[in-house]
Amino acid sequence: MDVFSPKERLKKSLHGETTDRPPVICPGGMMNAAIVDVMNKTGNVLPNAHHSGDKMSDLAYDVFENTGFENFGIPFCMTVEAESLGSTIDFGTLECEPKIRKEVFPSVNDVTFLSPDAIGKTKRGDAVIQAIYSLSKKHEEIPVIGSLTGPISTSASIVDPMTFLKQLRRVRETSHKVIDYVTEQLICFAKHMADNGATVISIADPTATGEILGPKFFDDYAVFYLNKITDAIHEMKIPVIVHICGDVKMVKLQLKKLHCDVLSVDALIDLKILKNELENIRTMGNLSTYLLQFNNSESVYKNAKNLLSKNIDIIAPACGLSTSTPLNNITAFTSAVKEG
Amino acid sequence: MEKTKEELYSEMSGAVVNMEEELSVQLSQKAVEFGYDAFEAIDQGLAKGMEQAGRFFDEGEYFVPELLMCADALSAGVEILKPYIKTEQHEEKHKIVIGVIAGDTHDIGKNLVKLMLSSAGFEVIDLGRDVPPSVFVEQAVKENAKIIMISSLMTTTMDGMADVINLLNEKGIRNEFKVAVGGGPVSRRFADKIGADGYSSNANQAIKMANELIGRQ
Repeated sequence: MDVFSPKERLKKSLHGETTDRPPVICPGGMMNAAIVDVMNKTGNVLPNAHHSGDKMSDLAYDVFENTGFENFGIPFCMTVEAESLGSTIDFGTLECEPKIRKEVFPSVNDVTFLSPDAIGKTKRGDAVIQAIYSLSKKHEEIPVIGSLTGPISTSASIVDPMTFLKQLRRVRETSHKVIDYVTEQLICFAKHMADNGATVISIADPTATGEILGPKFFDDYAVFYLNKITDAIHEMKIPVIVHICGDVKMVKLQLKKLHCDVLSVDALIDLKILKNELENIRTMGNLSTYLLQFNNSESVYKNAKNLLSKNIDIIAPACGLSTSTPLNNITAFTSAVKEG
Repeated sequence: MEKTKEELYSEMSGAVVNMEEELSVQLSQKAVEFGYDAFEAIDQGLAKGMEQAGRFFDEGEYFVPELLMCADALSAGVEILKPYIKTEQHEEKHKIVIGVIAGDTHDIGKNLVKLMLSSAGFEVIDLGRDVPPSVFVEQAVKENAKIIMISSLMTTTMDGMADVINLLNEKGIRNEFKVAVGGGPVSRRFADKIGADGYSSNANQAIKMANELIGRQ
C-alpha cells in the first residue's frame, strides 16, 4: 500500500518535501505519452482525440492506465496555442504528431494581435480545458498536468521561424511586443487550466535553447518570458515545470534565474552534476528517449534504476517520446521507479 | 586613395561576418565598378566572411540568429555579383538534395546546413520540410545528386531516415549516393545503425562532412 497518492507525491516533490520515492511522470504536450501501442490496444486514437474533450480525457486515461506514468498529461501536441493564434495545422496520423503546416505571419511586423484569452475560446483550446476538468473531477488522486508550448516556441510557430530568429536581433522592440502578446495569451490559457483542476502546469519551449539563441538572447527572451508566465501561474497557486531542450552548458547561469519549481532537461545532461552546479534547484528527467525507443526492457530497467541514484526529484523521459516506443519499455521504466 | 583589391575583399568578408547587409551590397557594387572578377570577389571576399562566421558558430561566439544574418549579408552581395560571373568559371558543382523527413516541419537546422553548404560551393536542392522518403530518392535520381541529406528534429520521425536508405537498397541504387543525416535527436550511433554514410552535429561541420563524402579535402 502506497503511503502517498500520486497527486500528493507529485505535489510534495514539486515543493521539495520528502516522499517515499520520486514520482514517475510524462507531462504531455511536447512529452506526449500517447504511443501507438496504447492506442492500438484501446481503440481511442489520434488524431481524433486532439479535437474533443471527451476523447482527449479517454486517451489520457488509457495512457495513465497502460504506461504506469503517475499522471494525466494533456494535450498530446504542441499546436493548440499556435492554431488558436492563427497558424494552420496538419493534424498528422495515429503515428505522427500534429505540426504547424504554415506559420500565419511572415514576420513579427505583420502579427495581428487578437483580444486576450483567444486560446481558451477556440474549439481545441476548449477541448483541453474540458478534458482537464473531467479528469480532475473523476480521478481526484491522480495529478492532471496541463502542458503549454513555451512563449518562444509559440511565437516561432505563428511567425516564420527563420525570420523570427533574425528579428530577435534586428527588431528587438517589435519582437518583444510579439512574445509578450503570446505570453499573455498563454497566461490566460494557463488560468483556464488552473481553474479547471490542473495540478501542475508544464512548459516546454524547444525553440528556446541555449544552442539556438545563445546566452544573451536566452536570457533576454526565454528566461524573461518563461518567468513572466511562471510568476503568473504561481499567483494561481499552481506549481510549474519548465523543460529546456538540448545542451545547457552555455546557459547554466541563466537557468539559475528561472522561477519554475522544477527544471527538466534533456538526456545528455547529468542531473546529479547539474544539481550541484545550480544549487537549490529541483530537477526532472531524464531517461533517454532513444534508449526507450530502441533498446530492450532490461536495459531500460537498468538505466531507470541508475537514475534513482542521482537524487532527481521527479523521474520522467528526457524529451518527446517517439510514438513508436514499445509499451513494455515504458512499463519497465515506470515499474523500476515504483519499486524504489 | 583607391583601395587595393585585397583590401576590398577583406572589407567584403568583414561585412558578412559583421552581419552588415547594406555594406555587403555597397562593397559588392564597388567590386563590379572596379572591374574585379565577380567569381573571385565572392570566393575571396564574401565567402571568406561566411567561413569565419561558421567558425564563430563552432566556437560558441555566434548562434543561430547571427549566422542567419551573416547569410543574409552574404546572399545580398552574391546577388549583386552573380550577373557578372563568366559562365566558364563555373566549376562543376556537386549536387546535394536536402530536406526534412516526413512528419517534421522543423527546418531551422536544415536551412542552416543548406546555407553553409551553398556558401561552400555546393549546389543544394532544397526539398523543403515534411518530405516523404520516396521523394528524397526520386529527386536525388532526377537531379543526379551526389549526396542525400536528411534532417529530423523529432524522435517520432527518425524511422523515415532509415526508410530512405531501405528504398535506395530496394532499387539497387544505394551505391550511387552518399546519405547523410542530422538534427537534434540524431546521433552518430543512430546514423551508424541505419547505415548512413555521414553524420554531422552542426551546420558548420556539415561542410567538412560533405567534402569528405565526395572525396574532396
